[in-house]
Amino acid sequence: MQERVRLTDAEINRDLLRSTMENPLWYWLLVGALGLIVVVAFGAAGYMFNKGLGVTGLNRPVMWGFFITNFVFWIGISHAGVMLSAILRLAQAEWRRPATRAAEVLTVFSLMTAMLMPLIHAGRPWRVAYWVFPFDWARGVYPNVRSALVWDPAAVFTYLTSSILFVYIALVPDIAVARDRTTGWRHVLYTILALGWRGSVRQWKLQLIAGILLSAIILPIFVSVHSIVSWDFGMAVSVEGWHSTVFAPYFVIGAVHSGVSGVVTVMIVLRYFFQWQDYIRHEHLDALAKLLIVVATAWFFFFLLEFFFGLYSLEAPEIALREMQVFQAPWSIYFVTFLIASYFIPVPLWLFKKVRRSVGWMLFTTILVNVGMWLERFIIIVPGLARKQNFSFTWGGYTPSAVEVIIIGATFALVCMLVLLFAKIFPLIPIGDTKEGVVLEDSIQVGKVKVPAIMRED
Amino acid sequence: MVQNRIDHKWGMVIDIDRCTGCNACVVACQAENNIPLNTEDRFRQRRAIQWIHIERYWEGEFPDVKARFIPILCQHCENAPCEPVCPVYATYHNNQGLNVQVYNRCVGTRYCANNCPYQVRFFNFWEPVWPESLRNQLNPDVSIRSRGIMEKCSFNVQRLRRAERIVEGQQGGRISDEDLSMGNFLPACVQSCSTSALVFGDFNDPNSKVSRMKEEHLHEGGRGYKLLDFLGTEPNVIYLSKVDPYATDAGDGHA
Amino acid sequence: MGITRRQFLRWTGVSALGAVVFNGCRIPEEELQIESPVNLPEDLVTGIDNWYATSCRQEPGCGVIIRVVEGRAKKVEGNPDFPVNRGKHSARSEAGLQTLYHPDRLQTPMFRADRNDDFLPISWDRAREILNAGMNSLSDRSRFLLVTEPLRGHLALLTSEFVQALGGRHMAFQSLEQINLHRAVKEVFGQDRLPDFDIENANYLFSFGADFLSTWLSPVRYAGGYGEFRQGDRKRGTHYQMDSRFSMTAANADKWVPVKPGGEGVLAMSMAYVIIRDGMGNADAAAALTDGQGPQALNAFAPDSAMVRDATGLDSGKIEDLAHSFADEGHQPSLAIGGGTAGAHRSGLFNLKAIYALNLLVDNIGKKGGVRFNPAPPLPELSREDVASVGMPASYREWQELAGSGSVDVLMVRGANPVYGLPPGADFARVVNEANFVIAFSSFMDETAGMANLVLPEYTYLEEWGDNVPSPGPSYQTLGIQQPVVRPFHEGTSSFGDELLTLGRELDLRLESRLEVTPDATMKDLIKAGVEKLWPENRGSVTAASFEGFWNGVLQRGGWWDTQATGDSGVAEIKPLDTAWDGSGLGDPGSGMFSLVPFLSNSIGDGQLAHLPWLQASPDPITTVVWHTWVEINSKVAEDMGIAEGDILEVSSGAGTLEAPAFPHPGVPPTTVSIPIGQGHTGMGRYAEGIGDYNYNTLSLLESTTDKDTGALAWAATKVRVKKADHGHSIDIPKFAGNQFAEEPHKGTIIKVTGPS
Ligand SMILES: Nc1nc2c(c(=O)[nH]1)N[C@H]1C(S)=C(S)[C@@H](COP(=O)(O)OP(=O)(O)OC[C@H]3O[C@@H](n4cnc5c(=O)[nH]c(N)nc54)[C@H](O)[C@@H]3O)O[C@H]1N2
Ligand SMILES: Nc1nc2c(c(=O)[nH]1)N[C@H]1C(S)=C(S)[C@@H](COP(=O)(O)OP(=O)(O)OC[C@H]3O[C@@H](n4cnc5c(=O)[nH]c(N)nc54)[C@H](O)[C@@H]3O)O[C@H]1N2
Ligand code: SF4
Ligand code: SF4
Ligand code: SF4
Ligand code: SF4
Ligand code: SF4
Repeated sequence: MQERVRLTDAEINRDLLRSTMENPLWYWLLVGALGLIVVVAFGAAGYMFNKGLGVTGLNRPVMWGFFITNFVFWIGISHAGVMLSAILRLAQAEWRRPATRAAEVLTVFSLMTAMLMPLIHAGRPWRVAYWVFPFDWARGVYPNVRSALVWDPAAVFTYLTSSILFVYIALVPDIAVARDRTTGWRHVLYTILALGWRGSVRQWKLQLIAGILLSAIILPIFVSVHSIVSWDFGMAVSVEGWHSTVFAPYFVIGAVHSGVSGVVTVMIVLRYFFQWQDYIRHEHLDALAKLLIVVATAWFFFFLLEFFFGLYSLEAPEIALREMQVFQAPWSIYFVTFLIASYFIPVPLWLFKKVRRSVGWMLFTTILVNVGMWLERFIIIVPGLARKQNFSFTWGGYTPSAVEVIIIGATFALVCMLVLLFAKIFPLIPIGDTKEGVVLEDSIQVGKVKVPAIMRED
Repeated sequence: MVQNRIDHKWGMVIDIDRCTGCNACVVACQAENNIPLNTEDRFRQRRAIQWIHIERYWEGEFPDVKARFIPILCQHCENAPCEPVCPVYATYHNNQGLNVQVYNRCVGTRYCANNCPYQVRFFNFWEPVWPESLRNQLNPDVSIRSRGIMEKCSFNVQRLRRAERIVEGQQGGRISDEDLSMGNFLPACVQSCSTSALVFGDFNDPNSKVSRMKEEHLHEGGRGYKLLDFLGTEPNVIYLSKVDPYATDAGDGHA
Repeated sequence: MGITRRQFLRWTGVSALGAVVFNGCRIPEEELQIESPVNLPEDLVTGIDNWYATSCRQEPGCGVIIRVVEGRAKKVEGNPDFPVNRGKHSARSEAGLQTLYHPDRLQTPMFRADRNDDFLPISWDRAREILNAGMNSLSDRSRFLLVTEPLRGHLALLTSEFVQALGGRHMAFQSLEQINLHRAVKEVFGQDRLPDFDIENANYLFSFGADFLSTWLSPVRYAGGYGEFRQGDRKRGTHYQMDSRFSMTAANADKWVPVKPGGEGVLAMSMAYVIIRDGMGNADAAAALTDGQGPQALNAFAPDSAMVRDATGLDSGKIEDLAHSFADEGHQPSLAIGGGTAGAHRSGLFNLKAIYALNLLVDNIGKKGGVRFNPAPPLPELSREDVASVGMPASYREWQELAGSGSVDVLMVRGANPVYGLPPGADFARVVNEANFVIAFSSFMDETAGMANLVLPEYTYLEEWGDNVPSPGPSYQTLGIQQPVVRPFHEGTSSFGDELLTLGRELDLRLESRLEVTPDATMKDLIKAGVEKLWPENRGSVTAASFEGFWNGVLQRGGWWDTQATGDSGVAEIKPLDTAWDGSGLGDPGSGMFSLVPFLSNSIGDGQLAHLPWLQASPDPITTVVWHTWVEINSKVAEDMGIAEGDILEVSSGAGTLEAPAFPHPGVPPTTVSIPIGQGHTGMGRYAEGIGDYNYNTLSLLESTTDKDTGALAWAATKVRVKKADHGHSIDIPKFAGNQFAEEPHKGTIIKVTGPS
């Protein structure tokens, strides 16, 4: 890590709190623009709720389309946070520090966005209470626990709760730093949120243990969430291409692939906006890219399993489905794009150190991965519905409508906007962690774990 | 108090060798069940609703071409894939063999439609509208489904309930085939089918025509079969095969 | 079926009463006990409904029962007792309710003195004044023309008397008339009425061009028989369809024999030749048919002759097989029917005569599974020749002559839409334009009513009295009764029959003495008087001690019939076969040309029902297209021509040009194209007018070719040029089927086929 500059605590505080303290024009213009997109999308959704789902491109037999694709996509992105923070934290991977907060925040906001999708998809969001809450309304029936659509909100809610806790616990020391440097309403807010953090040894110890415990708890949840999402499809007995036997691990690994890529994209963008060149450094990108090579290749292996095991069955409708995916426009175009974008371009490129250490290349490849992974979900969900069973009489297709495209586009704007707003209030790179990385030599033993010594504010 | 509640298992036998593809059943069902008007746009958007519909499959090339018709409606599966996936029990199995749909409970996930192998579930993508005067025709026994709600063949449960009240409530005896047809309790599609390709009745009643037909046809080598039987959905609808003395290819399916 | 009317009525009565009793005591308790919260709202409904029997007039023939709840008609079903349809009905009759409650029904009389002005709504009193004035303006009453649909029963009687008393003229209009069929039946069988065909009990059924399961004559009756023919309590019947189009009926046949358009008669003659040559069938009939000369009388029709091959497009082996199969002793009873396109050629009458004569060869007349003749209607006045002629459509040639004659001053149209329904060669609009005063009785502002001076809104058949003498009947005397099942939905409508009686009084035509009713009689009185004449005969389905009892019984059962009163049991005199085949205009259409085989829509018929959304939305059985016209063309031919589904084609004939989307499918013979009739309306309300992207009136393509003997329109004889439209547009055809060619990828998974047993 040769190019590393030794930074003073004061520099670190200044740089990493810059996003929260300064008010550049570009920031508000950007947030405003993103906000506008989100408002337009709310309008579109309102129009859809009013008119009915007829304004989408959904039809019989393709009753699930862009909204569900986007749901799966954002759930996938949300897997970045945990993958990076929890695993790396448990593994004490050194290079994780600058990435963790961005990853966790991305997790929380993409989960929230993902959860909007089924609500919009169902078309009458005010009815959702019947569906989600295990409460016997006046109807005398509880939600049906046999339905994967009840497992889904349960898993996602759990994941969301634990992710928020995860972010929050890591954030407490940083909030205290901010508290000590602000006045007015911000000071009040930070004071409340800092929970009286004074940086005592006991507090650090508790914070660290809580972080590690949550990491360990959250890992099974993380695996379960995308497994359960895959069961939304796998539970369907009659949709070809939806009941591949490897769906659960295939979905989980795919989620990690797109999630980690998403984190890299976000980190690079923030690095540019907030001038964090000294914190998000080339060796971080390098390490993440190496991780991505492994994840992507594992994912690709599952993709092959999924595809070929489908073919092995020799079932006519299954073959017809694969034929549609691979040979029939526009599906063939999506199919080829998705394979190239999410594997065949990025992975060979990542083999080169130059690429791994290039901000520009990494931005390009990671965006490509997510374009590909979005299409992957689309390719899994829609063709299966368009080729159900042997009923070629009803076979159809699907073209999304403007309303769907606007809403889908706006989810990206929404996540960006939320991250930016978050950056306005909280530091996006963990100050404490970074300092810890700098002052690594001062450490004490806590049980079996080595804990850094106290770092006091000047 | 009802002492002797009679258990039914309603079902249908559909002889595709009789069915001519005339679509009378389709329109009859629309009239009976307040199905929204299927406008040109709804067909173009592939959102037309037909609880019973006729599928037409081609075979061969001119001049040895065949077009085969099959009426498809909810199979009222005993082991219905649409039921467990509904998060709100808007579709459930009742104790009479019916797969019923509770409109005001449905939240519109469309999961059940994905999971129905027979594609007989129809979603109200639009609010149903009728010109004021046409509303006079609407059947007061059947609720109108608003946008965002799934619907499908109900085996005309409104007629079956009426039959139970009138026949069993008054006389105490099991509803017979004759009661069904005399009292206009037969499903509208069955009633209209001029070739009698559709036969409706109670599989729990050994004397019913459907029971006798099941006995006669549903066995190895017989004409009876259940649609996509290999899925294990256990439909309450039995099909009788098309007879074709000039069949070019009897099929290699696993049905 | 073992259904008796008494039981049926018992249940309707019980249902009405039962609901009340139940509501009062037991049922609510039961509901409390058994209705779990998971039950659906349908479980909770108890309404009081009544079912009334009446007759379907969507296209007359069947008896129906109507469910009425709180004064509103809710459902049409087949009358289980009625002999023609025995409890079954069609999509067309189901949609009768939409006629009744159609949002664009005319609700009040409308008038304009100048036909370039807009209509103004007027009262009925004013309308009647204008009507009388219009009728009185006639200087020469023979220049009065009344155009109706073919009428039967008492309305035919009334119409006939009215026209005679007035001294005017009447013409019955039907767009694709059955004159050739009537003439063939008359010439081959010596019958005045169409016979009944016992499809149910036939063993081998040979249908030449008759789409009898869909639109031909009495499809509900035939389909009822067909179900039993297929899977009744006996050996499965075999059905061959000799047809120039792959119709719904052809799709149901065991074997579809695509014959060249117009060649059906030659095929039948050739089959007759083989049968006689091989000494099969009834020898007496063979002798009579050949005038004693034996097979050589038919030598010209030997299957191996070039003429036969050219005319039919079939090789001799196939024709021999068909002939043997038809006449084989083990295949009896076999039955030949023909109509539709087979009779719609220059040689249409020749074709039909040849086809029906085959029945004589297998001697199936009056037998089980054969041709059964219909007796005269139960009341002698209903079978009077003048009354019968009111039910006989005028030929196309007559319409052509009318168009050029300038012989109409006052024109009255009812239940017919000749402006829409006549091809351009018989320009009915010209007749309308040349008349001084035009009156239209109609429930809708159709193309003809839209050109009138005075439009008089009619009751629908669910609101008025009438009767129904089915044609073809069920082989015994039948009189269906049509009664109002609901109060008139719109105040400003009236009954055509009643208005005709009123007009007769105003014009002092003394109809009541001609009809033997009281001076203030209405249609109801007229029909009741007719039924009263039946009562003393004390026979048939209803007998009663008093006339009131009889009348009630007849109303309750939806009519009266006498299964013992059957028609002739045989043919009095078999005439020799007509061998004067004239093949001109037939043969190959030439390169780039196709034979146009138009067809009636399974739902909207000839377009008379195009205003009903249920029928517009009822998929065509073969293509599943809805709400639109299309051009059926062979898939391979289309591929060669670079035509894909939805591409707009320009189809032109000597009479006109239209544009419509292509629908290629494998069932179209390569040298033909088919276009359904019925769309392209410029009136008739929102569901018919201007719907679709390219909806033209198919009839506008038809050239004025007529049958050389009868003057009937040879509506299947037009040749057309087909090409992709120059603008190169393509549309998404509204249809029910998905977007893939529907062939089971895994054959036998959905439709299991049992081979020959
Ligand atoms: N949807 C769904 N997913 C599941 C499960 C489930 O029940 N449902 N169960 C889970 C469990 S417990 C397991 S063990 C895994 C099993 O997952 P898989 O190993 O995928 O098992 P199968 O689907 O039984 O078989 C895979 C493919 O091999 C084909 N095949 C059969 N014999 C041969 C052969 O001799 N050679 C080759 N090349 N192919 C052959 C089959 O037709 C099938 O297409 O799935 C897991 N995932
Ligand atoms: N024809 C054919 N047969 C096969 C296979 C094949 O490919 N083809 N695959 C084989 C393979 S690989 C496998 S793994 C087996 C699987 O065979 P099984 O182990 O029988 O698998 P499941 O059908 O999942 O049955 C598990 C049961 O446990 C219940 N259950 C679910 N959760 C719990 C729980 O928390 N506690 C308890 N006590 N019960 C629970 C479920 O309701 C279900 O009844 O099938 C084998 N059999
Ligand atoms: S046919 Fe479909 S909707 Fe009907 S019970 Fe079976 S799975 Fe459910
Ligand atoms: S669409 Fe309605 S019935 Fe179907 S699964 Fe969803 S909530 Fe249940
Ligand atoms: S049983 Fe009733 S609901 Fe079902 S298709 Fe027939 S008419 Fe429609
Ligand atoms: S009414 Fe009967 S014959 Fe006609 S399509 Fe329906 S099932 Fe077939
Ligand atoms: S065939 Fe004609 S008469 Fe018979 S029910 Fe249908 S529309 Fe009415």
